Amino acid sequence: MSLILVNLIDGLVTGLLLFMLSSGLTLIFSMMGVLNFAHASFYMLGAYFGYQISTYVGFWPGLVIGPVLVGVIGALIERYGLRRVHQYGHVPELIFTFGLALLIEEVVQFFWGKGQIAFNVPESLKFALFTISGNAIPAYKVFMIFCSMGIFLVLLYILTRTRVGMVIQAALSYPNTVEALGHNVPMVFMGVFGVGTALAGIAGVIAGPTVGVFPGMAIQLGSIVFVTIVVGGLGSLWGALVASLLIGWITNFAAAYSFRFSTIFEWLGLERPANMAESLLRDAWTLTFPQIGPILPYLLMILILVLRPYGLFGKREV
Amino acid sequence: MPAAIELKGVTKNFGMAEIIRGVDLAIPQGERHAIIGPNGAGKSTLFNLVTGKYELTSGEIRLNGETISGLQPFEINRRGLSRSFQITNIFHNMTVFENVRCGLLWSMGYKYSFWTPVNTQKKLRARAEELLEQINLADRRNVVAGVLTYAEQRALEIAITIAGGASVIMLDEPTAGMSRSETSAMVDLIRTVTEGKTLVVVEHDLGVVFDLADKISVLVYGEIIESGLPDAVRASDRVQEAYLGTTHEIEH
Amino acid sequence: MSTVAPSEAARKGPVNWALLLPWLAAIVFLAVMPLIFASNSALTIMNQMAITIVFALAYNMLLGQGGMLSFGHAVYMGLGGFFCVHLMGYVENYEWQIPTPILPIFGGLFGLIFAIVIGLFSTRRAGTVFAMISLGVGELVAACSLIVVAFFGGEEGVSGDRTMGPTVFGFDFAQKIEVYYLTAIWLVISALAMFFFSRTPVGRLANAVRDNPERAEFVGYSARFVRYYSFCASGFFAGIAGGLFAINFEILTEENLNLVTSGSVLLVTFLGGIGFFVGPIIGAIVFTLLQTVMSLYTDIWQLYLGGLFVLTVMFFPRGLAGLLFMHWRPHQLGKLGTLVVPYARMFVPGAVMILGFAGFLETAFHARHAAQGNEVMKLFKFEFLQYDSHSALPWILFVAMMVAGAYGCRRLAPGLKAAWDEANTARSA
Repeated sequence: MSLILVNLIDGLVTGLLLFMLSSGLTLIFSMMGVLNFAHASFYMLGAYFGYQISTYVGFWPGLVIGPVLVGVIGALIERYGLRRVHQYGHVPELIFTFGLALLIEEVVQFFWGKGQIAFNVPESLKFALFTISGNAIPAYKVFMIFCSMGIFLVLLYILTRTRVGMVIQAALSYPNTVEALGHNVPMVFMGVFGVGTALAGIAGVIAGPTVGVFPGMAIQLGSIVFVTIVVGGLGSLWGALVASLLIGWITNFAAAYSFRFSTIFEWLGLERPANMAESLLRDAWTLTFPQIGPILPYLLMILILVLRPYGLFGKREV
Repeated sequence: MPAAIELKGVTKNFGMAEIIRGVDLAIPQGERHAIIGPNGAGKSTLFNLVTGKYELTSGEIRLNGETISGLQPFEINRRGLSRSFQITNIFHNMTVFENVRCGLLWSMGYKYSFWTPVNTQKKLRARAEELLEQINLADRRNVVAGVLTYAEQRALEIAITIAGGASVIMLDEPTAGMSRSETSAMVDLIRTVTEGKTLVVVEHDLGVVFDLADKISVLVYGEIIESGLPDAVRASDRVQEAYLGTTHEIEH
Repeated sequence: MSTVAPSEAARKGPVNWALLLPWLAAIVFLAVMPLIFASNSALTIMNQMAITIVFALAYNMLLGQGGMLSFGHAVYMGLGGFFCVHLMGYVENYEWQIPTPILPIFGGLFGLIFAIVIGLFSTRRAGTVFAMISLGVGELVAACSLIVVAFFGGEEGVSGDRTMGPTVFGFDFAQKIEVYYLTAIWLVISALAMFFFSRTPVGRLANAVRDNPERAEFVGYSARFVRYYSFCASGFFAGIAGGLFAINFEILTEENLNLVTSGSVLLVTFLGGIGFFVGPIIGAIVFTLLQTVMSLYTDIWQLYLGGLFVLTVMFFPRGLAGLLFMHWRPHQLGKLGTLVVPYARMFVPGAVMILGFAGFLETAFHARHAAQGNEVMKLFKFEFLQYDSHSALPWILFVAMMVAGAYGCRRLAPGLKAAWDEANTARSA
């Protein structure tokens, strides 16, 4: 029972983190029609900036300044890079963001090297907030949860209750009309891209101390983020939330329970092969839940794409 | 002989908006039929319904007696219906010659063959050359379609449309954006290439309409308010009120 | 060529020399290369180039010809390769009589089978959806490779021995040169087949569907089916590339299936130019050269490559082949010669600027990452370019080079533009 609770919390942490990334990505997609392959790279940049700033003035300023820097870089890239490539079509746009991801990874290695960086949890949060039958729940994890939820609420508020939010929502579907009404749509685009990437940056600063800061961070999380928004439905913020939490919980629970698939096979009456080393099916017999954890999101994505191509909550045509 | 195209009780709703509200229309074989109407009447939607791009909300559409509502566009095309588009829809990265040739491949039986090189097929080339001659683009055959002038692209579009030998040709505003002389040339072209076929044309230029059409239908707010011979339509009070307005708009 | 059709007038008599000559030249070139570059490392590089060319050509069937961007194409090459290595194992252990030269066919077939299965649901839509599915499938298979150890060999991968098969004309393929010629023959066959495919009805329709799927439907073709065809054909040839990889390197690992490999074939193909048949060929050659040569002289070659890629997408999206073919019109007009001097003049400030920038980066990298006490660096690993990376002089020098070079380019740009315009204008008679 307690294990379930711990996994629920861990899954929540992962899910909300994933949400911070996927929300920005899905907003950018629904606004500009471009799937930013380099989104996770901004997440990585956030982590590195957060670390670097924390070495000068501490974690908390890093939490604020880092994402702002990332957002500015994102906005500049939109203005001078993406906008230029946009005219060539969707495929070159995707290729551009892919190239960007590559480049950012190299740049990060240029400045910080190939190894893992010691980005540590700030001293003020380095304690166990409470324990659940012997499993300590670090305060930092709770902080992560509150931070992400806070950001989600702020985002929701801005999009649904403010004028800027309305303009953004309108520009989501009818950019030309909105522009004709006198709003500076290119500026809105730049802003949304900047905010989206800044969100990714925040996720990076927050997640950095727990997942580790290294050049492979972006690739590690990158494809999962795409899976998340496809499952949730491209363009849907609620879909991104639901899908993120779903995937967060699935992967955490899978990793925690060492359920062996051989149990099912034996229950079905199948015989375990005598010579395991030679048998072609030996992997099926040694298969455990934790092993398939990493591939579950992809299976889910393919399932959704085949059965319900709009995703769980999708409105825009995928 | 069954009608070339028959629409029975066709309606189309987009969400709550009723765009087409019950259209009945029968176009016999070989007729040249024009559909006119104010902007927003639903002419393009009607086209898209017939050609399979949109699904009907209710009703039925028949091609040569066979029900085609619910079929995919390519299936409808293979049954003998071809269309052109309001916004020029050609293969802009391929040459003029290749554009026309693509229009011919299926109808000449090549299907999904991956073993015949198209360059060696003499009959294919001959037919493509014929079509190019008809639209007067024979000397532009190696030009990439994307750089042609607007009128040339529209002519190419017509060529691709008729290439497959479809018996029913639907043209969506073929003379849109053309000058006087270009329009006149286009009308002659249309008349020549659709000889013996059934033609359905959506047009705004009433001069073209009265020049080309055997029968006219007037579509207003998703309904056909009048359908018949050009003179009858022109004289109709309902049409005058809803669409034609003052008589001096009609150039003849 | 998919965009620029060679004039039909080039046909003289029954043989189209304009088309045939490049192929003959390529065959001669391939046959003669190892005689010029006979060293083992040269052979390895050439083999690698050949395999990459086949893979990139296969990938371009999807991207350039079909307009479908895939982030997971390594799967088909990898699976084909794995299958071949297993076959090699059966040849070795169970005396199966499969001569090594025909192994790539089996690689191709295995790749084809997978493409048939996956294409069933992945080719329904093009564009972003297709890219996403390809990414998901790619990651799925790569992740599975660590689970299904029986087929993928887990972390160590699967190895084989190409010399165990029945000898063919006395060759057992132990020698690198024998492998080279085998690979070269397969390269020519595959390239010919893929070129041929682009000239068939399906190949032409692939272009049509790429340009305008709606229009293609209205000439009687199901856009979806055409895409499916292209996808399967592409998977087949990717599998052949996998088989060639298996023969050459005798080991396949999870690396052959992952996003990095899928990404690099995208890079290679795009760099070369997706709108031209020769594009991927050029891209593969240039990339392999850059990769092997640059890595000898600098530690940050991947940074350069990444930057080059982004610049290509932004400023010359038609790739290297596009750059070359831009000169077709001046050539036709006989004015190609007029560009030599302007190019040469632009070359000087351009080179200065680039070298300055590279030097700057190299010095910065060294200053930041070199071990404590190791102050002296060798620029591009040249002995005679030694200096202390912490001293001010090199920095100043490189910045000066960059500024001077940029200024020079700026000054010469209008002149180059004028020369270019002139070279592209036919003088009216």
